[in-house]
Amino acid sequence: MAIIKTTKKSALSPPVSETSPIGWMRKHLFSSTFNSLLTIVTIYIIYITIKEVWVWGIADAVWVADTRRECFNISADGACWAGVISWLDSIFYGRYPREELWRINLGLLFLFIWMAPLWLPRVKAKISIGLTTVFLYPFLAGYLFSGGDKGIFMQIMFTAAIVCLLGNTAHSVIGVLTGRSLPEFLIRRFGNKNASEKSQRYILLGILVLSLVAVYVWQMDWKVEGVPWTRWGGLFLTLVIAGIGIASALPGGIILALGRRSRMPLVRVFSTSFIELFRSVPLITVLFMATTMFPLFMPDGFALNKLVQVIIAVCLFNACYIAEIVRGGLQTIPKGQFEGAHTVGLGYWSTMGLIVMPQALKNMIPNIVGNFISLLKDTTLVSIIGLFDVLGMLRSVGKDLPWLGLHKEPLVFGAIMFFLICFVMSKYSRHLEVKLSTDHKN
Amino acid sequence: MIDTKTQETQKTREHLASAASTEVIIDFNKVNKWYGDFHVLKDIDLTVHQGERIVICGPSGSGKSTLIRCMNHLEEHQSGSIVIDDITLNKNLKNIDHIRTEVGMVFQNFNLFPHLTILENLTLGPKWVRKISKVEAQATAMKYLERVNIPEQADKFPGQLSGGQQQRVAIARSLCMNPKIMLFDEPTSALDPEMIKEVLDVMIELADTGMTMVVVTHEMGFAKIVADRIIFMDEGVIVEENDPNEFFHNPQHERTKEFLSQIL
Repeated sequence: MAIIKTTKKSALSPPVSETSPIGWMRKHLFSSTFNSLLTIVTIYIIYITIKEVWVWGIADAVWVADTRRECFNISADGACWAGVISWLDSIFYGRYPREELWRINLGLLFLFIWMAPLWLPRVKAKISIGLTTVFLYPFLAGYLFSGGDKGIFMQIMFTAAIVCLLGNTAHSVIGVLTGRSLPEFLIRRFGNKNASEKSQRYILLGILVLSLVAVYVWQMDWKVEGVPWTRWGGLFLTLVIAGIGIASALPGGIILALGRRSRMPLVRVFSTSFIELFRSVPLITVLFMATTMFPLFMPDGFALNKLVQVIIAVCLFNACYIAEIVRGGLQTIPKGQFEGAHTVGLGYWSTMGLIVMPQALKNMIPNIVGNFISLLKDTTLVSIIGLFDVLGMLRSVGKDLPWLGLHKEPLVFGAIMFFLICFVMSKYSRHLEVKLSTDHKN
Repeated sequence: MIDTKTQETQKTREHLASAASTEVIIDFNKVNKWYGDFHVLKDIDLTVHQGERIVICGPSGSGKSTLIRCMNHLEEHQSGSIVIDDITLNKNLKNIDHIRTEVGMVFQNFNLFPHLTILENLTLGPKWVRKISKVEAQATAMKYLERVNIPEQADKFPGQLSGGQQQRVAIARSLCMNPKIMLFDEPTSALDPEMIKEVLDVMIELADTGMTMVVVTHEMGFAKIVADRIIFMDEGVIVEENDPNEFFHNPQHERTKEFLSQIL
């Protein structure tokens, strides 16, 4: 007998247990006696933990005091945040001259202005903005932070960075307002419609050269006082080391990973041994090697300062880790993608740059950002070899006479700081993953 | 089963007139290839003229995919010579790159770039290899998307398209490079029966334009309409080579008869 359905079956509303909060709790928290017991115990543990932290850190804490003794007199059981607050400048900037702090803040502000367009949807040419951040911004920031006399190379790069910053800012503002790029805007606004594309390009090039010359002339007389690297410290130093490490580890890692997969034996052996060497040694050893052994191999009279040595060590160390992550990412790309790229005529570098790397890196975002997070935390190791990074500064609070013995509070404060930074990075990586996902599999 | 799907095209279409000229565009001379110890291609001799449409069939493992992949050097042959459009394929990378811009290829698994939109997939080659301006490349891309009947999908990603649509995009992607030869490596094998027809229709239309085509396929209905010549391969050897009429109605070799009896 045939069954033929002619009417549609309408949907019924779901049972209460599926929608109401009480139904949810019954299902997930109190489904059996044992589970109910577990729930209650867990809630109790959470309660006493939060209560203790609240009482120590907020309710009984002392916020205003001049010495640790005063803190004790006001409240013996609470945290003495007054010590952390009075050291706040040092924790953030180390022993950087107080009257020059504006330079660090300005540098960070420039970084923000430089990178903000990356998050503005209407701005074009995001890749060049990203690349200039990596390759030009360090010179601008480097001079602002260290100051002193500029060599000819530094003068040129500083000029280029400033012109780039100005152009970049103008480009972003125009992008947000009109959705066009800076050259497009200039041509539309002031250009001659009859002029050929080539002559327009020459005029734009002329404007660029003119502004470079103008800024170069201006910066010849502009000078800020030199601050030796030994006065750098605190969170600022941590961010400098980690920032350079992050910015250079990715390109370095990509090159090493490609080298390891190369068909040329010499390149492959070199990359592989380099990666394996650095990966099989703890970071602290690499840091010691960089600061004590490295100078021995250098010719007489060739001396790098300790900070540069440390930064090079951190960069190489992390490039090796990133290299292995990138190699893993490359292996997830099916052979068909290479073949597809070859059949449209793309060569090795365009295949890698346009087809393989974008996909591989996208797949690897969680791992890469995870590595960056541990890189940021690992930089605290430099306090062991005598740089006063954020951890170094946090530990000096307790050695300062008025605050003698105050160790707990600064470290808790440091933990909160690191948590905030790392949590933001991790959230951002998750956001990137979702945003860049185009596979539409889920 | 396969045959019923193409019956409609078979019924409605006569065999296309041959567009073959006398100019040789693919020339295999005593080509041999090994995978390790395994001898995949044994002394292959093959000549394809410009505008000719060749269908290659045979049981799996017979070397037909390897043969077609040698034509744009996705596989390297170890002895013999392959001349494509008067250029000899050897270790010279420049030659290989040049050949690949002249030879389009469509794969069983489409091999579209999942991180790019359909339009970007199509304009990538013209923009980066042919150095054509973006606007021009997009115009060409839209022209070919219209030819494969999916212009409305231009801004989607490959993952959002059905298999048949993806394969048509892959065909359009190859056509955007304006190739002299189109290679098809089992273009319908990964598709649902319903989608096979839409891809075959596009391929028949392409054949109608006089494109040189080499197609590895099991779609015998398609072969009957389009092929100027059918090549039957087994165990790395070209066993039989004939025009479709003779091939289907009067197969010479025992192995061919056996294969046809299984597939038809």
